[in-house]
Amino acid sequence: MVAGQRRLRLYVTMGQRLLRDSLLFQILLHEEVELVGESETGVDTLNRLQGATPTVLLIEENLEDNDGLTIAEHALTVNPSLSILLISDTPVSSGRMTIYLEAGIKAVVSKDQPVQELIKTLFYIRNGQVYVGNWHQEPAPAAMLAYQALSGREREVAQLMASRLPVRDIAGRLGVSCKTVHSYKDRIFVKLGFERLPELILFMQRHQHGAAE
Amino acid sequence: MATSGATEILLRYDDDQDRQHFETLFASDFVIHAFATDQGALDYLPSAPTMPTAIVLLPNRADGYLGSSLLAQARDHHPRILKILIGDAIALNLLVKLLDDQLIDRCFEQPVNPDVIRSHVLTAALTREGQTPSPDTSQAHEGPKPAILIVDDEPTATRYLSRQLERMQNEFRVLGATSAEEAQLVLQKDSDVAVVMTDQRMPGMHGKELLDQLRQSHPTVVRILTSAWGEVDVAMDAVNEGRIFRYQKKPWNAAELLSLFRKALIQHRALVSARNRSRSMAEQQFAELRQQRRARLLEHLSERVDGFTGEPITADFLDAVATVRTLPAQPPHLRASRETALEHDLVRDFAGLVGRQLDTLQSGHVHGIHNRQAFDQALTDAMESPAGASETQTPLMALCRALATLMNASGLERSALELTQTESRLMVTSASPLHIYSHLLAPITRLSRPLLEQQSALLMLFVSTRLLAGDIDVTGGEQSLQFRLWLPARTD
Repeated sequence: MVAGQRRLRLYVTMGQRLLRDSLLFQILLHEEVELVGESETGVDTLNRLQGATPTVLLIEENLEDNDGLTIAEHALTVNPSLSILLISDTPVSSGRMTIYLEAGIKAVVSKDQPVQELIKTLFYIRNGQVYVGNWHQEPAPAAMLAYQALSGREREVAQLMASRLPVRDIAGRLGVSCKTVHSYKDRIFVKLGFERLPELILFMQRHQHGAAE
Repeated sequence: MATSGATEILLRYDDDQDRQHFETLFASDFVIHAFATDQGALDYLPSAPTMPTAIVLLPNRADGYLGSSLLAQARDHHPRILKILIGDAIALNLLVKLLDDQLIDRCFEQPVNPDVIRSHVLTAALTREGQTPSPDTSQAHEGPKPAILIVDDEPTATRYLSRQLERMQNEFRVLGATSAEEAQLVLQKDSDVAVVMTDQRMPGMHGKELLDQLRQSHPTVVRILTSAWGEVDVAMDAVNEGRIFRYQKKPWNAAELLSLFRKALIQHRALVSARNRSRSMAEQQFAELRQQRRARLLEHLSERVDGFTGEPITADFLDAVATVRTLPAQPPHLRASRETALEHDLVRDFAGLVGRQLDTLQSGHVHGIHNRQAFDQALTDAMESPAGASETQTPLMALCRALATLMNASGLERSALELTQTESRLMVTSASPLHIYSHLLAPITRLSRPLLEQQSALLMLFVSTRLLAGDIDVTGGEQSLQFRLWLPARTD
């Protein structure tokens, strides 16, 4: 944690447990993040927000009991320095984006976007900054291009890693040292913009019948 | 991504390679007009078909554009354009000078994070927040004397400075705090704090962090960062993220600070009057919108709803709703009402939903058949299966379903309803108030299913109570509502 940075105290309001868990599994891998509370409904959020003292509220727009944006507006009157990230069902237009920003929302991520975008956004808004990503664009196939730019050996290591082979076994199979495999691994992650193995596994499996062959 | 078409950037560069690199990074986000001279840019600006959202400066040397006529012109004539300096190595003195002269709004060192630059520009395009309020020259500032709060963990230095400043003038008070946490307490107690000058390095919360929080919790308080350490990265973050008014280097000089604080107070007054103007304008304009919305709701509902019961229930219902106080109207609510189909859709969707519910409701009045047990059973059924199917509903079922919806939306259990039965009446009361965060006549930014369902449940409460020959009494509070309803009953 950088000195002087606010620790990211996260409160999550999402109706469905499955979605909430999936996101939290990813988000909580980052050590600066601490989960201070979670709710399924807007009313419950407002009841418990003050006691939990979060710095960031991640809230779904479509909740079962109330409109997420209305709940967010009320949360801001209770705690104006709360950074709010709204999750919308669909991409928002620029007109709507202006309304959200004027209402004090720091960022909007839609359910069509990759989880990496959500996590990146979470960190950008942690100090109360507004973050507007290039949400209006088709996500560029950046990882795919990067994959095609990998060397033959790097691709080979990526495929073995994606088949969940331990580093030791990869080293044995390729006849190199573990240290060498680790440096391949680091290079692959940097080039593809991934931080963790599950991202690589998902990417490789998702494209295994496509260009990642 | 401005409201119409693509976002435009005016790029002023020295080196062709820098331009190419910038264009590679941002060509897909912005339309970039690049100029190698101030004059070229200045010739372009007056004839530009659309004003650029931002001017981005890529000088060879970071201080290369200090005397730039483009920057001076932009400051004086185009305050809405966001001015971003990107340099190789930004010296603290340069940053301080640029802030003093109000030449730039944001400042970044190479290599830049394209995400951050894009976000700053898009945000400015969407909200025009780069706009600085025009200084308020009116000297009329009645009321208590404003206060300057100095936050520093060296109380001796602060005390000495405070005494000096108090002697030198009679326009403001000087307060001190020895930590960010103490400063927050002072701000809670003293609502006349107009300016906060804080040291960066303090035990506990740092100055930059305090200013970040103040920017959100006290947007009209003018923020100044001060430090003896000269950390340029902190200063740059404070400019870009904390939107500080000035960066004041230590050691302090009382005369210099006096002039700084005077400028800060002018800025504070400008911010306050801009906020007040926008607030009162929003309230006024929303009052009109609310009238129109009420009229249109009446127009689209009365015939159907009042026809069903034979009484002017729609107006009663809207009057009851209006007693619930919600958050005051703000610019985004007005924008949503004017620039989106919100007003139209609200009336259409609400009338549609109410119409469908009335379609399945048994018409005709029912008299005095209710006892506590029957009501209890109906309520339990409704709470357990809140989703009303399309089968015909009796008024009692409709009443209980409406109650279930309202209780659910407020996160309340069945036990929050009190039932009391006397000789001839069954009374239903909400023991704890219902939460109503938004309603049909409130400022809203978006139409949502929960809002429509909660509001139609409230209307159905009115309708079904009357069909059961009962009566309802509703009292609105702060984002809440309490009700009492009576039904004719018999004891078995």
